[in-house]
Amino acid sequence: MNPISIEGLTKVYRDKKRRRVTALQGLDLQIEAGEVFGFLGPNGAGKSTTIKTLVGQIQSTAGCAKLFGIAAGDPRARRRIGYLPENPSFYDFLTAKEYLSLVGRCFGMDRSAIERESERVLELVDLHPAAKRKIQGYSKGMVQRLGLAQTLLHDPDLFILDEPMSGLDPLGRALVKQVMIDLRRRGKTIFFSTHVTADVEAVCDRVAVLVGGKLQTVNRVSELLEKGIEGYVIQLPSATAGLWSDFEARPQSDDVCEVFVPRGKFNSFMAIAGREGVEVQLIEPRRRSIEQFFLEIVRRETE
Amino acid sequence: MKFRLLFGILLLAHALLLPHLSERLKQRSVEVKLGYIPHPQILKVSVADHSLPVAEAAVMKVLFYFGTLVEKFQENIVIRPEYLNMYRTLETAILLDPYNMDGYYFAQAAFTWEVGRVKEVNRLLEIGVENRQWDYWLPFYIGFNRAYFLKDFAGAAPYMKLAAERSGDPLFAKLAARYFYESKQTDLGLLFLDTIIAQTKDKAIKATYEMRRAALLMVTALEKGVAAYRSARGSNPERIEDLVTEGLIPEVPVDPYGGNFYLDSDGRVRTTSKLAEQPK
Amino acid sequence: MPLPAVLLSAKRMSAHQFVALTLANLRMIIRDRVLHGVLGVAGVMLVLVPAFSSFSMRQSQEVAISLSLSAISLVLMVLTLLLGTSSIWRDIERRYTASIMTLPVSRVIYLLGKFAAMALFLLICAVILTAAGSLVVLLAATQYPSDLPISWGTIALAVLADLVKYLLLGGIAILLSTVSTSFFLPFFGTLAIYLAGSASQEVFEYVSGQFGQEIPALSLAAIKGTYYLLPNFAAFNFKVHAVYALQVQPGSVVFACIYAATYTGLLLILAAWSFNRRAL
Ligand SMILES: Nc1ncnc2c1ncn2[C@@H]1O[C@H](COP(=O)(O)OP(=O)(O)O)[C@@H](O)[C@H]1O
Ligand SMILES: [Mg+2]
Repeated sequence: MNPISIEGLTKVYRDKKRRRVTALQGLDLQIEAGEVFGFLGPNGAGKSTTIKTLVGQIQSTAGCAKLFGIAAGDPRARRRIGYLPENPSFYDFLTAKEYLSLVGRCFGMDRSAIERESERVLELVDLHPAAKRKIQGYSKGMVQRLGLAQTLLHDPDLFILDEPMSGLDPLGRALVKQVMIDLRRRGKTIFFSTHVTADVEAVCDRVAVLVGGKLQTVNRVSELLEKGIEGYVIQLPSATAGLWSDFEARPQSDDVCEVFVPRGKFNSFMAIAGREGVEVQLIEPRRRSIEQFFLEIVRRETE
Repeated sequence: MKFRLLFGILLLAHALLLPHLSERLKQRSVEVKLGYIPHPQILKVSVADHSLPVAEAAVMKVLFYFGTLVEKFQENIVIRPEYLNMYRTLETAILLDPYNMDGYYFAQAAFTWEVGRVKEVNRLLEIGVENRQWDYWLPFYIGFNRAYFLKDFAGAAPYMKLAAERSGDPLFAKLAARYFYESKQTDLGLLFLDTIIAQTKDKAIKATYEMRRAALLMVTALEKGVAAYRSARGSNPERIEDLVTEGLIPEVPVDPYGGNFYLDSDGRVRTTSKLAEQPK
Repeated sequence: MPLPAVLLSAKRMSAHQFVALTLANLRMIIRDRVLHGVLGVAGVMLVLVPAFSSFSMRQSQEVAISLSLSAISLVLMVLTLLLGTSSIWRDIERRYTASIMTLPVSRVIYLLGKFAAMALFLLICAVILTAAGSLVVLLAATQYPSDLPISWGTIALAVLADLVKYLLLGGIAILLSTVSTSFFLPFFGTLAIYLAGSASQEVFEYVSGQFGQEIPALSLAAIKGTYYLLPNFAAFNFKVHAVYALQVQPGSVVFACIYAATYTGLLLILAAWSFNRRAL
């Protein structure tokens, strides 16, 4: 049973003038246990709509979504998940500790477990010094950190995070990435939305691209990175520069020159190098980044 | 700094204005003071569950207004009171809260002696007798009003009996007996006033009752003088001053209601003031 | 580490959630500055009661009781209005629902938690205000000895009935706030229903009498239909009984409670339906 299973999910909103706004169209998506899944899309693509349907904030117009086999919307479906909303807002008249205690009670944790775990997660997100202050006085980043802490409290199996890095400083971003990497190591499933491709590259196993409410592609990040290799940048002693008339070459410094070898010509380059006994100083793959990949899809889709 | 100065000036001006404000408001016409009270049906529907305090507030309003009238009256300033408006307001209060004793009490105090609206007052008091089933004052008032003002002794009897039953107090039985057998109106009135003054704490009402009592005492003294004159001379005195020349009274008393006492052709004590207007 | 959530039965877990949410919401209420202000005003009102009741001529004690009861009722009404009408829509607007409702909490539990917190707070306020009011009444009762005893039981009953009434009103406020996206509909809607529900019995009796024969049958039917649809707040008014120490029929209390329970139950179910279909 997959942690998340989405079939034919469609959402049509009504705006203020009762006009139809199609936010999501026939989305099919299966998230497998233990993977970190990136949900990539530009603003307004329908990422939050998908996630809100999963956690029962809104009802879909058509199609179905399940969490661990239980229909989304059923409170029981949320027992094993930790959810971080986009721009979260918590009961701000409570302190962080009081809030975590409320969350723990809602997950059916007992008092001692709540005490122990809230200490742990507050420590983890660096909120310990502010734990006894009211959330009212928190900065946006602190609230976001509390949001992350709140998802970790009951050690769920599935994390659903809507733009978890937004509103955070570089330290916070690094922290979130580290937390995600640790969770993956512990076999947890993470489904998170983002519009930042670097985040995907850093932590994801798979990535889906959503544009205009339609799913464009689903790829393994490792495959994308592999497929994206266009060629290699190779550094060689300047003395050998004469050998590379077939390639783009440029002097790098007095005794080093740099040659770009397209992916298909790598073997012929290696043959020359081997024959001439050239000392290769450095080989670096040049790849089309995920950002370019993403931008291409968006451009193609919006044309 | 400028603002502080300005603030100081405004504060001073404001403080200087305040006494004038209250002076001005005191000068308002009485209609403004008593104001207007909506129809009881409308009021009842619009005050939700606060009808008791609203009723009490209406009574208070009339009472305070009446207080200023009594003050003016004692300073010999005569103004025409708005009796109709006062009565309406009281009636509204009683319809809002048929248990409100202040309403009945005030109606009895203000509309019988001064205004002679005895029948209307009795009609209000009936509502009270019905609702305040434990109360003996209300039947006592009705009984008194019937006997003293309306001379309806037969009609008064059952109320006096009811008051005696409800109170279990022999005073009322005694009063009842006296009402039936004494014909002297002034004594009857004095008896009632003595009873009621002992129970009154509101200053305005107490003042009116005491003024009434003082006047009645004067009348009693004069009546006694006339009786003594008659038994000595065998005829009624011609003028009231004859009682002084005979040494029966030290001087002709001054009617607190601003009139002059005189004797009519039958030798009965009369006055030119309002005091004479009732029990006829 | 085993998942604690999985170990609890659904029922136990709902109970835990209900208690936790009730307490959290109670904290929200208790930490609200506006409500502190309202309670401060309530204190001032009660402190002024002896002063006002001293103006009464014959029923200081009764006036003190009625003013205290009215003050308590008024304060409870204001609290109910403030709490009930700012509940669901405001939680959605502040996006509290996005964080709380996405825990494994059902919307019904959330709604009940909100209602229970409101009920608990009103109960606490009623108890405190009644204690304060009792002191005030004791103080005022010494000003003029009343013929009537102070019936503490009936006074407590009157406050309790008021409390039950305002819980019903709170149900209306919550229902309206589940369909609204702003303050206006719940606030003015609840206020209008409160006023109409307080007056409906009077109007009904009026049109049932002679006056009813003069109005068209259709309007009469509309008025009667509205009468049965609106909550009838007259059923919860035991203030006259408390003030004048009248006997309360146990049946009417029981009836009022059952009536409130069914009506409030219906309101909460409607609110749950409406809230269930709402996007957060
Ligand atoms: N409550 C709403 N009413 C109407 N339109 C909405 C509503 N919420 C979102 N939308 C529209 O649906 C589309 C998808 O929004 P969303 O899922 O929030 O995008 P994102 O991918 O940025 O999270 C957008 O065009 C947005 O304007
Ligand atoms: Mg979004």
